[in-house]
Amino acid sequence: MSRFALLSFEFKESMLIALRAIRANKVRSALTMLGIFIGITVVVLMTTAIKGIDNSFQKGISALGSDDLYIDKWTWFTNNEWWKMRNRRNITMEDYEKFKEMAKLPVAIAPEIDTRQSLKYQTYSVDNVFVLGTTAEYVRTTNFTFDQGRFFSDVESKSARNVCIIGSDIAKKLFPLGNALDKEIKIGNEPFRIVGVLTEQGSFILGAFNPDERAYIPIGCVFRNFMNRAHGSITIDVRAANTAMIPDTKAEAEGLMRKIRGLSFNQENDFGINQQEGLIDNFNKVTGVIKIAGLFITGLSLFVGAIGIMNIMFVSVKERTKEIGLRKAIGAKRRSILAQFLMESSFICLVGGVAGLIAAILLSFLVNQFIVTSVDYSAVVIAIVVSLITGLVSGFAPAYTAAKMDPVEALRFE
Amino acid sequence: MNFNQIFFVSFESLKTNKLRTFLTILGVVVGIFSIIVIMTIITMLQSTIEEGMQFLSKNTFEIRKFPAIMTHGTWEKYRNRKDITLDDFYRFQQMMTDVEVMGAYEAQGGKIVKFGSRETNPNSAIVGVTQGVYKTLNLDIEDGREFRDYDIDYSNHVCVLGNYIVDKIFYNIDPVGKEVRVDGKPYTVIGVLKKKPALFGETQDNYIVIPITTYQSIYGRKSDVDITIMSKSKDNYEATIQAAIGHMRTIRKVLPGQENDFEIFSNESVINQINDITYGVKIGAMIVSIIALIAAGVGIMNIMLVSVTERTREIGIRKAVGARKRNILMQFIIESVVLSLIGGLLGIILGVGIGNFAGSFLNAATVIPYDWVAIGLSLCVIVGVIFGTYPAYKAANLDPIEALRYE
Repeated sequence: MSRFALLSFEFKESMLIALRAIRANKVRSALTMLGIFIGITVVVLMTTAIKGIDNSFQKGISALGSDDLYIDKWTWFTNNEWWKMRNRRNITMEDYEKFKEMAKLPVAIAPEIDTRQSLKYQTYSVDNVFVLGTTAEYVRTTNFTFDQGRFFSDVESKSARNVCIIGSDIAKKLFPLGNALDKEIKIGNEPFRIVGVLTEQGSFILGAFNPDERAYIPIGCVFRNFMNRAHGSITIDVRAANTAMIPDTKAEAEGLMRKIRGLSFNQENDFGINQQEGLIDNFNKVTGVIKIAGLFITGLSLFVGAIGIMNIMFVSVKERTKEIGLRKAIGAKRRSILAQFLMESSFICLVGGVAGLIAAILLSFLVNQFIVTSVDYSAVVIAIVVSLITGLVSGFAPAYTAAKMDPVEALRFE
Repeated sequence: MNFNQIFFVSFESLKTNKLRTFLTILGVVVGIFSIIVIMTIITMLQSTIEEGMQFLSKNTFEIRKFPAIMTHGTWEKYRNRKDITLDDFYRFQQMMTDVEVMGAYEAQGGKIVKFGSRETNPNSAIVGVTQGVYKTLNLDIEDGREFRDYDIDYSNHVCVLGNYIVDKIFYNIDPVGKEVRVDGKPYTVIGVLKKKPALFGETQDNYIVIPITTYQSIYGRKSDVDITIMSKSKDNYEATIQAAIGHMRTIRKVLPGQENDFEIFSNESVINQINDITYGVKIGAMIVSIIALIAAGVGIMNIMLVSVTERTREIGIRKAVGARKRNILMQFIIESVVLSLIGGLLGIILGVGIGNFAGSFLNAATVIPYDWVAIGLSLCVIVGVIFGTYPAYKAANLDPIEALRYE
């Protein structure tokens, strides 16, 4: 026989023995599989939930526009010396207008300011909504898509007409029966006509930043109805042409803002130019802990399952000591004994793992009710690979013990 | 066969298969470990927060406009309540006679305290107080004296400093008798407060205390005060709260059937609120951990089944010489319970140790979550019984003749 044929024969033989051993001890094999099944199910479910959270965040970020800079009185995500930032001058509409006139690199520039208001339509109402005042150009700093209608036009924004765009969650709450377009709602005590409804972004994780839970009105309306122009500090949203242009756009913005605010060369910036990086870092910091803790705890379940396999394989080796001795006596090689037991353990793991995966996919529909998510292809591959590796690793010690046995001693074993 | 003997037999059989016993126990160790380590960390954080928030003395409660912890979106509900004014407090004081001591205070943050050319960062708080507040808020004078009645009556510009401010702006100088400035107003230092333990590394002593009359003359008379009341003893604490609610409703003209338009706040109410918040996290962590424990239980069951098969002859002999069904049943159940209890104990030791180690990085105080230790141990017993019963039942129902013949 050629070397290859020999190997394949050995392989087939080992597999048959392994399968026979599993069939011979049905309850035992089933219980061992159950251990792995539980482990794989919870690990896959956990990765699915984490993916859902990440997705929601990514979606939100891309809807808000990932190439955007935000010029603000506050530098975001630093806790240091807030009392210095507190005393900075407000960023005013005049600053924005000068900036817009002079800036060359950005593709879109829009001011924004927010106010918390209650929204009412007939008997329905939503409290504590972030109402964002901005100009028509704002929509070009974002990647919004519209379910119905449009963003307000340049004319509407300049003349501060009472028109508004609402996020999908707000639309659901105010108009449970649908069709919000052209209806008149009250923001605070002012009537506003709805000209657009945003498509659902599903980025609940962004909290107040979530476009689903916001409303948009012309910035003039904010200053007229809700806020004294002198008191509010606006944020200037600046969209760079592309990601590569962000540093240049940022440098230009910094120079212009210093000029506009009349800072001399030795004065510190009295404004912050913020990027979404800060938001992303912050998000990663918070979810990183949750991810690690979640995977660690669920990983422990898998670990317990692996211990169970190892234990049972040791038993299996011990029970079959005589058989191993016999096989060795008539010429079985170490590696075929090793292969036999490794195959047994990895087969058990694989079956348990695949069953666990199926259970996880079914359960993920349940998770989907709370977080929009689905089991990833990568999760499928990883689950199968992990269960195979678990089988190999936890089966190795027992298999090695078996392979190393002295045939004489093994045959004598009672 | 008595209980001791059963125990002995169980232990003997566990000893003969050391590796197997070890691996089975390891499964339980991991399962219990994951519960205990999470609960230890949560308990550590919780008790540290609770300790920090327990600024009230014993038998003391507070009446305020806003609750201590407001969840998202509830602020609107409380915003429209009437302020509790200093006049409300004076009326209240006349009505509530049967108390140990009571006081009112109000505070503002973000202040700079200056002494000469030295000043604090603008995050110090200024607190206006009446006479009784020291006792109810657990403030002890370390040096100098408290306010006297005339300080309050004449709105004297005097102050008592928190220890952090003293460290910050008076190096080796005795602050008593010196003059500090806040918002341009001068105050003569008449006393210094004792240090309080830091919370998560944040100081709790960053404030300056002045008479409430002085405070109101500077920061406005129509502001909202918090009233603190200490009851005469633990026994009439509840009664005092009820009396206070009654009088407060009278003062604020709350009609019968209407909700209170103020909050009763006590150390216990804070603890309850924190418990409500951590409850969800605890339940989630427990479910995930219990899954690991179930996996471990499956492992126990598997090994016990093997053990029963291996000892079929032994069971046959024991039955042949007169062992009852329940003796065999007990023997195997006890074996599995012992297995999982040993695992549980080790898991608890590991979990408490590692949990405390991890928590120490957050500057939290060391704790042993006794309740979770008890829950963990009882879970072990439950797992041992549940997953040991089937193998034990199988063993107990063996036919002695068949069992003896088994090869």
